Amino acid sequence: MSDGAPRAKSKISLEAVANYAVIAAFALLTLFFAVVAEGFLTADNLFNLVVNKVVLLAIVSLGMTIVIAAGGIDLSVGVSVDLSSMVFVMLIAAGYAGIVGVIGGLAAAVVVGLLNAFLINGLKINAFLATLGVLFIGKSAQQLATQGGVPIYLTREEYAAPFDAIARSEVLGLPTPVVVLILCSLAVYLALHRSVFGRYVAALGEQPGVARYSGVRVPLQLSFVFVGCAFLCGITGILLSATVKSYVPLSGDAFLLDAIGATFIGTAISAERRPSVLGALLGVLMLAVMRNGLLLIGWNFFWQQVGIGVLIFLVLALSFGLAKRKE
Amino acid sequence: MTLESASAGKRPNAAAMTSVLVRLGAFGAFGVVMIYFALTARGFTSPYNLLNVVEQSAILGILAFAMTIVFIGTGTDVQKGGVDLSVAANAGLSAAVFAVLAEAGHSDAEAAFAAIATGMLVGLVNGLAVVVFKILPLLATLAVMNVAAGLELTLTENTVVGASTDLVEALAFGRFLEVSSLAWCLILVTLVLAVAVHHSRLGLRLYAVGGHREAARAAGINTGAYIIASYVFSGFCAGIASILIVSRLSASTPGTGLLLLPVLAAALLGMVFSRRFVPTIGGTLLAVLFIGFLVNGFQLLGISSYWVSGVQGALILLVVAATSLAKPSDGG
Amino acid sequence: MGDIAVEMRSITKTFGPVTALADADLVVEKGSIHGLIGQNGAGKSTIIKVLAGIYGMDSGTVSVEGERLTDITPASIERRGVHFIHQDRLLVPTATLAEAIFLRSEPRFGPFLNRRRMNRRASELLKAYFGLDLAPTALIQTLSTAQQKIVQITRALAQDAKVLVLDEPTAALVSKEVESLFAVLRRLREQGIAIIFISHYMQEIRDICDRVTVLRNGRTVGVLDPKEASLAEIVALMIDRDTGEMYPRREGRVGEPVLTVEGLSLSGHFQDVTFDVRAGEIVGLTGLLGSGDKQVLECLFGLKRPNGGGFSVDGVPMRFGAPVDAVKNKIAMIPEDRRAHGVAIGLSVAENISLASLPQVSDYGFVRRGAEARAVDRVIEALKILTPGRRTLVRNLSGGNQQKVAVAKWLSCRSRVYLLDEPTVAVDVGAKVEIYTLMNRLAGEGAAILFLSSDLEEIAEICDRALVIYRGRITREFRRAELDSDRLLAAASGARVDGATTVA
Repeated sequence: MSDGAPRAKSKISLEAVANYAVIAAFALLTLFFAVVAEGFLTADNLFNLVVNKVVLLAIVSLGMTIVIAAGGIDLSVGVSVDLSSMVFVMLIAAGYAGIVGVIGGLAAAVVVGLLNAFLINGLKINAFLATLGVLFIGKSAQQLATQGGVPIYLTREEYAAPFDAIARSEVLGLPTPVVVLILCSLAVYLALHRSVFGRYVAALGEQPGVARYSGVRVPLQLSFVFVGCAFLCGITGILLSATVKSYVPLSGDAFLLDAIGATFIGTAISAERRPSVLGALLGVLMLAVMRNGLLLIGWNFFWQQVGIGVLIFLVLALSFGLAKRKE
Repeated sequence: MTLESASAGKRPNAAAMTSVLVRLGAFGAFGVVMIYFALTARGFTSPYNLLNVVEQSAILGILAFAMTIVFIGTGTDVQKGGVDLSVAANAGLSAAVFAVLAEAGHSDAEAAFAAIATGMLVGLVNGLAVVVFKILPLLATLAVMNVAAGLELTLTENTVVGASTDLVEALAFGRFLEVSSLAWCLILVTLVLAVAVHHSRLGLRLYAVGGHREAARAAGINTGAYIIASYVFSGFCAGIASILIVSRLSASTPGTGLLLLPVLAAALLGMVFSRRFVPTIGGTLLAVLFIGFLVNGFQLLGISSYWVSGVQGALILLVVAATSLAKPSDGG
Repeated sequence: MGDIAVEMRSITKTFGPVTALADADLVVEKGSIHGLIGQNGAGKSTIIKVLAGIYGMDSGTVSVEGERLTDITPASIERRGVHFIHQDRLLVPTATLAEAIFLRSEPRFGPFLNRRRMNRRASELLKAYFGLDLAPTALIQTLSTAQQKIVQITRALAQDAKVLVLDEPTAALVSKEVESLFAVLRRLREQGIAIIFISHYMQEIRDICDRVTVLRNGRTVGVLDPKEASLAEIVALMIDRDTGEMYPRREGRVGEPVLTVEGLSLSGHFQDVTFDVRAGEIVGLTGLLGSGDKQVLECLFGLKRPNGGGFSVDGVPMRFGAPVDAVKNKIAMIPEDRRAHGVAIGLSVAENISLASLPQVSDYGFVRRGAEARAVDRVIEALKILTPGRRTLVRNLSGGNQQKVAVAKWLSCRSRVYLLDEPTVAVDVGAKVEIYTLMNRLAGEGAAILFLSSDLEEIAEICDRALVIYRGRITREFRRAELDSDRLLAAASGARVDGATTVA
């Protein structure tokens, strides 16, 4: 152990480099688009960026942050988003009140979370494979419910009321979805960084055996984690449907990589190198700025996907390559 | 002498019993499903249909072998060990490269070479990301998967790129001894890999690297090289598969990435067919055929194809739950 | 004897400002077993890693069989016939015995693996060296710890080892297995193989070694014959401290029974186990591997469900479904596998210490950080945990201090019963003394301590009473006056002992 001291020192500085590198990259990226991309710095664009591009992904990323902090991963976030969206839209289409739709949608998402929790706790399947299985099953469920994936559009005026009440209303001068995001962020922040639950989550993420031997009810906490994530995805599904006034099967899958990417960008820039709420939100912002900026300088959707993929890859390389060289 | 009493405690024996049961269960399930389809689905047992299933399983099989090799070299703890999520997207990208080059008038050899080189390059990126940058394989290959999918879209503009060259025709319509070229491809690849993986020093050492990396390193094996090689080989398989993909439809089409889930299902399912519950070439082949016959039987019975993905998901969960039951609990 | 197998002279190795080895010597003769001892940080592992080619040295010379080596690499040293048996059982669990033995020296048939020859050779080697009849196709994961050690040694022998370096080979073995291993080592010595034997167990060093090199602070402070030198002399060389302090004494008052176990059974592991532990008492529990001793602790902590009998704490019957129930009833566990179950090395000292007692420092599910900090600082102070601060990651603490953190988390719970599972395995002598002192302190404060260990010497020296479990039954109980390690050993291996209290 005699070589511990000098190594520890250099590790800290490398971590600091990684932290600043990601933040600096973000700043440079923003600056670059501000200069190069016409219309990037306009109020309209920035507002649109936050409301339409950030909110949905941010809420899913909050859920993913909880799961990754607990040492797991949730590949079924898309299923939770989609099923919530599907049940919500179907209930509205059947003439139920908006509130019934919302409750139904959230309930559907929670069922997905409970299923994940059952597979992980009850059948002892690891989180990756359990949620992968749910991803498959969720796909079938949607195809069966929609004759192979036919979208449900409710654009007629008679359906508009509940959707507009969610997506086009304001609270204290802010669009409702933004307010929902703020509330979700606050809740997850308190849960993860201030509460007993958050401590248990951190212990689970670092060493589940220690948590168990310290008297933590591991299955119960893991259930909270996966149901919590699914619930947040459920909120996203409802906001999504309310915004586009429709349900498009399998559209939730698009969140998966971005949410994982945002969470890991967040981990890379947090001082403790653990998933954090603030980090995840910054990560989401970074991805949104990137996508929006690339669009404004004329890259088409396909190239944006390449660009975002490369960006996430680089952040991961930086985060893991620089900081995790303990062994 | 205490050293003699192999597995003196009762636990290992109980575990051994369970593992035998699980394996019997796996073979039994395969058998029962086959018999059920044979009895209920008209035409299921006809040689034409059986060969047809083998032929249709060729692409899935070769990609599943790619995943199997990665599992062998990096362990089956997908979350912390290794996995190649980019393999299907990689095949899609390679297929696009092949089709675009063929359409532009390049020769078969050039197009095939470029497709395989593309696949291996993507594999190399995965390998370097995992070994040199030490990124969690799950995340590294997920990011690479997206880049590959994006590049495929930029190449093809999300459209069908037709390609009908001599090679494509030969693969699509050629037959030898009443067996189609695609089926032959699967048979040949299986044989070559079975020998390479199970009867060579390289294969044995690859298993050691995946089974216990520290132990392999202590034995003097360059583990990093083996892991990079397994990802590059996975890319190579994706390249080979891409040519078969183009051949089957005489074109490169979007959506190859969707093969990822069945590929994962097959590679994981294959583990239950092996004595040690490790990925094997034979086990993966059985799993691929199992999935192939399942889909085929569904079609013949007129069951909606929407069920397929759900059944595959349920199969994965079943298999993993069964193996986690059968494995001796760690710490012993 | 006479010929020199390994000669390391004036080895110096520094890491930045830290000097790990300063002019250290290690000379090992052919056909001898050479002990290498010293506290953690004395330079044992550094000098071995220099020999293994893992670290380069700053200055000094290394010769193997009289030939001076330059630029040692792991591969080149293996070609010289020097093989390392690592402390961890570095074997592939899903490999067969033959595959593990011949990894990287696999018999071939053209380009192919010759499995038949590989299996036959493996059987022959095991038979020839160890007289063992094990199926070469058995999987490593089904072998016992001792058998896995044997496989590692066989692997070295299959590659014509001339020098074997064994790093703590007995750490996970029970006494009978240790004897078998020693018999094997003696046979190898007769065949002219030089063996370097690193161990924390003084008794073993004296039993098996012909010579022993003692390292302290990176220097060779003595080379002696362990059979002539007294234990006190050796330990004094290692730590400049009297052995009298090795096992601190304690005069405590023993109170009422706290933990009462009656007729506890777990099928396949132990039956009808009855005993009690009183307030202020340290009760030892020992047995061979597989005797059921570990499972008794696991049942008491709610990790396994007993299927017969029961137990109570302070007279209140207990029924546990999970460790959480045990923790609520003030039962604490210091698990054997510290990294997997004791402390989370990626969390801070504070996060580890308060993990088991968070409800006490929180309101409505939210942590009161001030209260937490005060509680944690109190415990750090009380146990003298050497850490830069409570927010330091446990990863950066020494092994002994990590173990203290594992104990510390139970102090704020005011636990009544402490279950200690091999708390001193693989920690150095200094840290051991601190752990014993800590146990004495807990007992002094009225806790009931059940202390499971396979180190019979420490059981004999530390405990007020000791229970021996043999094939799932408690067969002997020793009172303080009757305790000594020879009697314990005899009882644990099933022999009849005179003068000890026989239980049912």
